[in-house]
Amino acid sequence: MSSKNLFILIVGCGRLGSLLANRLSGKGHSVVVIDNRDSAFSTLSAEFSGFRMVGDATEFTVLKEAKIEEADVFIATTRDDNVNIMVSQVAKKIFHVPKVMARVFEPKRENIYKDFDIEAISPTTIAVELFLESIAEFLTVNKRGS
Amino acid sequence: MQTRLNLWRHYRAILSNTGMIMVMVGVLMLTPLFVLLAWHDEWVYAKDFLIPAFVLIGVGGALWRLLKSNIPISITIQDGGVVVLLSWAIASVFAGFPFMSVLGLNFTQATFESVSGWTTTGLSVVDVAKAPNMVLLWRSITQLIGGAGLAIITLAAITGPTGAGLTIAEGRTEQLAPQVRRSIKRVVILYAGYAVLGIILFKVAGMNMFDAINHSFAAISTGGFSTKPENLAFWDSTAIDLVSVPLMILGNMNFLTVYFLVRGRFKAVYRNDEVKLMAVVIPVCIILVYYLVSNIIYPTFGKSVRVAIVEVVTALTTTGFMSTVYTEWNAIGYLILTVLMIIGGGTCSTAGGIKQYRVFLLFKSFIWEVKRAFLPKNAIVENYHWRGEHKEYISGELLRQLISFVSLYMFIYVLGTAIIAAHGYKLNEAMFEFASALSTVGISCGVSVASAPPLVLWTETLGMFLGRLEFFVIFISLGKVIRDLISLTTGKPKF
Amino acid sequence: MNILIAGEGKTVYFLCRTFISKGHKVTVINRSQDESVWSARQLKIVAIQGDWSDPLVLEEAETNSMDAVLAVTPNDHDNLAICQIASLNFKVPQTLALVNDPDNEEVFRKLGIIAVSTARILSNLMERRVGFCEITNLITASEGKLNITEIELTETSPVAQKQIRDIKFPQNSLLAYILHQGQPTIPKGDTVLYPGDRVFVITMPDNYAETIRMLTGEKR
Repeated sequence: MSSKNLFILIVGCGRLGSLLANRLSGKGHSVVVIDNRDSAFSTLSAEFSGFRMVGDATEFTVLKEAKIEEADVFIATTRDDNVNIMVSQVAKKIFHVPKVMARVFEPKRENIYKDFDIEAISPTTIAVELFLESIAEFLTVNKRGS
Repeated sequence: MQTRLNLWRHYRAILSNTGMIMVMVGVLMLTPLFVLLAWHDEWVYAKDFLIPAFVLIGVGGALWRLLKSNIPISITIQDGGVVVLLSWAIASVFAGFPFMSVLGLNFTQATFESVSGWTTTGLSVVDVAKAPNMVLLWRSITQLIGGAGLAIITLAAITGPTGAGLTIAEGRTEQLAPQVRRSIKRVVILYAGYAVLGIILFKVAGMNMFDAINHSFAAISTGGFSTKPENLAFWDSTAIDLVSVPLMILGNMNFLTVYFLVRGRFKAVYRNDEVKLMAVVIPVCIILVYYLVSNIIYPTFGKSVRVAIVEVVTALTTTGFMSTVYTEWNAIGYLILTVLMIIGGGTCSTAGGIKQYRVFLLFKSFIWEVKRAFLPKNAIVENYHWRGEHKEYISGELLRQLISFVSLYMFIYVLGTAIIAAHGYKLNEAMFEFASALSTVGISCGVSVASAPPLVLWTETLGMFLGRLEFFVIFISLGKVIRDLISLTTGKPKF
Repeated sequence: MNILIAGEGKTVYFLCRTFISKGHKVTVINRSQDESVWSARQLKIVAIQGDWSDPLVLEEAETNSMDAVLAVTPNDHDNLAICQIASLNFKVPQTLALVNDPDNEEVFRKLGIIAVSTARILSNLMERRVGFCEITNLITASEGKLNITEIELTETSPVAQKQIRDIKFPQNSLLAYILHQGQPTIPKGDTVLYPGDRVFVITMPDNYAETIRMLTGEKR
């Protein structure tokens, strides 16, 4: 059992959301996952022992039902950038969740978060950085060779 | 070879977890020794507990530690099922050892008693008047632990795999918290609370400390073992009878429902299917039993009412306390109790039977069918019931699973009853007794005694086992093990 | 004014028509190709087909030159994104978002965007049509601390034929102005209220009911 056990609220149970939920629940944290399709929860593994909620997280009442006021961590992982942007703002500004993170596909939208104290993670940007690094390495190796 | 490696990984986890539970059971087998604090002369029996305990701890410990993997893994429900099957089987055999060595029972009888304990049934072939306190306490402890679940107690006390696979396999599907270990801890705290409450209530009602402890364990686990041969009828006390009723009801309620009750979320409680069913069935049956049965048989009004109340509650909650003997009971009395036993207690509690929520839903679905006939043809109807604080919509699949469960239950019920009847018992006795075994109730009309034919006892033993683990865990786990063995020996995976 | 509308369907079409008739220049971002083509034919607007919340699309639509942006897409979260991008990145002075969930009016306001809920407007209008003493709750302002309500006085109104100075208004309520036979009047002490007058009152939540009761004679 981890020494500190967090209450983590995850919006969106797709590939990213469910993987996060599995790992976090396995580490002993209390996890609640919200998705508006019941079928999404089938990707949760045996590791997951948290609560599942069916609902639209852009609805205020749904977030309240999930007890967002008590959350330590909030992660928005839906496929829609705008949903992630909206719910994470609600989590941060209205419910004052200490740590709010969101996945944002479109790098251009990332700057909105900077002022809002929300951690935006863009898989696109990360992938670009990694690719670039790899190519840079390849270049230096080749340079030495010739 | 890849499949072999994969299989090995699964079984390694299975055996490791089974070993862990074996250690826990072994440690439990040492707890009856507490009796020595008050009754020093019972030390002669100590070895009868110490030997099986050390074997369990030794072998179990070896399995657990040697096969444990370094990375924490979670266990799937299928693997969890095999763990449950194995650990319960092993526990059943070992727990019977004291009955054989102390009381001189044979293997059939000892296993019967042991299974009756773990499954919280309460049917007994032991001569309770002659049994030493250590043995009596052991029986009650097996009921206490078996009621919560071997896996649950182990997970709460020691440690375990991550994920809910093991708990779900043993029947604990309700989540009291969004993390399995927190959830289990809450269940255990509630359960311990019941136990303490029970001890206090029985003591206040007039039992001595030892009896109060044993009966409290038996009440909250809906087990039904008693320290007296006549069970509760020994005391013939209004106080004791009436105190046992709320304890039995508490033990049979879904832990989640009680959790809501304790936390003041009353809406979830009174909307609950099982609470609604109990609210109707219990009073109606008490009245029926009073007028049709106990009024006729018992001399005083007080006794008649008491018997009606206790017997209806003990049958429905599948506890097994008896406030009377059934020899004078008429056919309608047998029938009412048998039906109550088959309906059974609440889900995710210590009770047995088909379970109240299934019966409630089946009944409800009939009403919905009738209502549906009055609506326009194209109307979309979404039937629902309350599951905790949320609505759960009834799907065709849910109803299908329900019906297949109930059908299987009735099939096995008829089969078991037939086997018993074939030994020459009267029909009402066979029906009553097997319902008591299959639904892990524990009230007996005299069939389950030490001298009963072995096949009868084994039939009941199997019935108790199947009933507690709700069939599917057993069938599916057995199926899985057999399939895996086949694929191992033939070298190709069979699907 | 240069107005940018993001949305689809008939609502957008008629919004465009209304603004055009008032002399404004309208640009529409619609994700439907068919609708964009049709409205380009029917109306004098700049019709853009694209993802309405994509910053690139908004940039190409010259959002930075807009005086107002109206986000009326079917999704509350898209409308929030559009208005935030417009006001923060493109410094558009006026933005308005349509929301479906009435709770989001307040939520959006806290996030810095003005929002209007169709559900709430329509339900208020419904109350009006049900003959609830001809009351229209126009605006709830300042975090719900203020209400501006329009009431049509009837024959049976307790304040009909009375002078303002003789009417005892509840503490912290104000009769802002009166529409008498279509003519607006700022009330003075000797102004008389007649049946048929439409009065506009400003109230706080705690005296709202009392004020309404006083003007209409009915319990709300």
